[in-house]
Amino acid sequence: MASLPKRIIKETERLVSDPVPGITAEPHEDNLRYFQVTIEGPQQSPYENGVFNLELFLPDDYPMEAPKVRFLTKIYHPNIDKLGRICLDVLKTNWSPALQIRTVLLSVQALLASPNPNDPLANDVAEDWIKDEEGAIKTAREWTEAYASKKDQKSTN
Amino acid sequence: MTSVQSEDNSSLIYGDDFDDDDESIDLYESQTTATCSMGDTACHKLNSLVSQESEFDFDEDQFSGNESDDELLVDPMTLSKKALDDDKGGSSLKYECLTTQDILDRMLKRVHHLQPVFSIPSEDILVLMQRYDWNEERLLEEWTEKMDELLVEAGINTSNPGDKLNITMRGIKHRSDFNCFICCEVRSTETFSLECGHEYCIECYRRYISDRLNEGNVITCMDCALALKNEDIDAIMGTPSSARLMDSSIKSFIQKHNRNYKWCPYADCKCIIHLNDTSYLQEYTRLHCSRFVTCKFSHIFCFGCGYGMHAPADCNVTMAWVKKARKESENLNWVLSHTKECPKCSVNIEKNGGCNHMVCSSCKYEFCWICSGEWGPHGRSFFQCTMYKNDDEKQKASVENSKKALKRYTFYYRVFNEHEVSAKLDWKLGQTVGQKVKAMQEKMGVSWIEGQFLAESLQILNEGRTVLKWSFAVAFYSDASHNLTKIFVDNQMLLSNAVEQLSELLQIKNPETTMKRKSEFYNKAGYVRNRTRALIECGRDLLRKCICKPVD
Repeated sequence: MASLPKRIIKETERLVSDPVPGITAEPHEDNLRYFQVTIEGPQQSPYENGVFNLELFLPDDYPMEAPKVRFLTKIYHPNIDKLGRICLDVLKTNWSPALQIRTVLLSVQALLASPNPNDPLANDVAEDWIKDEEGAIKTAREWTEAYASKKDQKSTN
Repeated sequence: MTSVQSEDNSSLIYGDDFDDDDESIDLYESQTTATCSMGDTACHKLNSLVSQESEFDFDEDQFSGNESDDELLVDPMTLSKKALDDDKGGSSLKYECLTTQDILDRMLKRVHHLQPVFSIPSEDILVLMQRYDWNEERLLEEWTEKMDELLVEAGINTSNPGDKLNITMRGIKHRSDFNCFICCEVRSTETFSLECGHEYCIECYRRYISDRLNEGNVITCMDCALALKNEDIDAIMGTPSSARLMDSSIKSFIQKHNRNYKWCPYADCKCIIHLNDTSYLQEYTRLHCSRFVTCKFSHIFCFGCGYGMHAPADCNVTMAWVKKARKESENLNWVLSHTKECPKCSVNIEKNGGCNHMVCSSCKYEFCWICSGEWGPHGRSFFQCTMYKNDDEKQKASVENSKKALKRYTFYYRVFNEHEVSAKLDWKLGQTVGQKVKAMQEKMGVSWIEGQFLAESLQILNEGRTVLKWSFAVAFYSDASHNLTKIFVDNQMLLSNAVEQLSELLQIKNPETTMKRKSEFYNKAGYVRNRTRALIECGRDLLRKCICKPVD
């Protein structure tokens, strides 16, 4: 295996020594480019009290290419589809090498706080969100309760 | 829209009715290099073989001469009449053939032109133009509205110019023990930064830029919205790499204006046909004609559907046919087009010349490549092999019917394919024709112009074959019982016959014989040309009278 670029080592070190509140990211022991990530649902959002599992992978070209991030926990959100793929500008066209793992994960957390149904990835969810926001938020809460509650996370870990 | 009248604009007719709303730049400025009007030699860099200057004004005759006479008098649509008449005049057609470089040159000219208006450096205007997809009007509008905001948005000025402390020198510096925040390496290296002070090592910058050169968007600083100019890019890369960025930017411009700009579909051809006024294309469609355009390498294609020259079929027939061919015969394709067994001794034969008169190399049996029948009767009377013989008429079962339909289709597809292959081989023949002309010049002191009849014949042969080829698509979708269809089939036979004769003539290897038979070339080529026109007209009749209807 090619040696890990210094940039990745530094970022990993900092993620451990100076973690972002509400976010954890640990590299997999077999592959240091693969991270297991958890993000806490932001306060005052339908995802409050939930802990979401994600995976993050740094491609060979990182940091010239954006990291690949995907939700593993089921989530009801207009910009996240059934497979957990995320529609977020910094992961696509607006990626810049000056961004980091931590900034990307913060952006994902911010996306949970402010869903954008006008630029949807999961069309059905987005439609619900526009038609009946209250109902959609309720569903999101229920899903969070069902799939991302803290207790469950601990027991599965 | 500012319309700048140019000095050397003689062959252009634009500028009078220029009102295309999504057009950004007045592209009709002087364009000496690539104005493509039929018969204008300046733009034809092509090898002298297939000269556009041929007397055979294919495009013009076909689409204006005949059309405007009968059809448009019945139904005078002023616009299309005008357009078609323009063709008829022959001096200039309403389209031009460009390359990305030509378009870029025009854009740069505009930038140069706008410089006094903006009074900022040209490089900055270039960034603005890219950002606005080369839409000069929209740019000017927003410029007058909110100049300062625009400059920040486009990344030309920093967002907080008051913050003088942050402003550093733009450009490449040399640093020892530099800690780059992108790669996190600490070493002595060259670095680059814009005025924003976001400084990174040159290697990171190179990787960053080379990933983005093909995207066609303005490249910004890695950490903020400040834009890199072309001179920065070239300085960082150490090579004139910005040319690639400009090229991709123009390509995305063409993509966005694909109603007026079309890439030549031929392999490796980099030409772009620009048609300013597309409004009369509808009229072409209504008349079951197509707007064929020719790029400067003599590639003829249809501006409407993007396929190659497909008369007498219209775009609908063409697309239906191509779709069907894709669906049903992918596997048939290769076998049919590449080999055939000798009808007598079953040796596998690959065709290596354009002529359909085959002589089996093992048993010397002479046969026709298309119908596998004996060659004997072909030369003298009509080509019976162009007619589909409907001999299963009394079969009733639906299974039989579908079988018949497939058989019928296979027949038409096969002939269509034969002519395509022949056309390709004819094209190869063209290469040897060039050598032949050269040989004649050396051996017999024939002047270049005298040798041109060969190239012209070849051109006519090609066009005849193409028309013949597509006529089978028309025939396939036509009602076989109708009288006009029968006339059409007769016309096919006549053209087929004529084409084969001309093809055979072109196979002559000996230049002296060729020269001696020069008049024969003229006769045969003239005949092919007439038959081609007749077939096109006849096919169009079928379409207009709805005898030929494309169905899936």
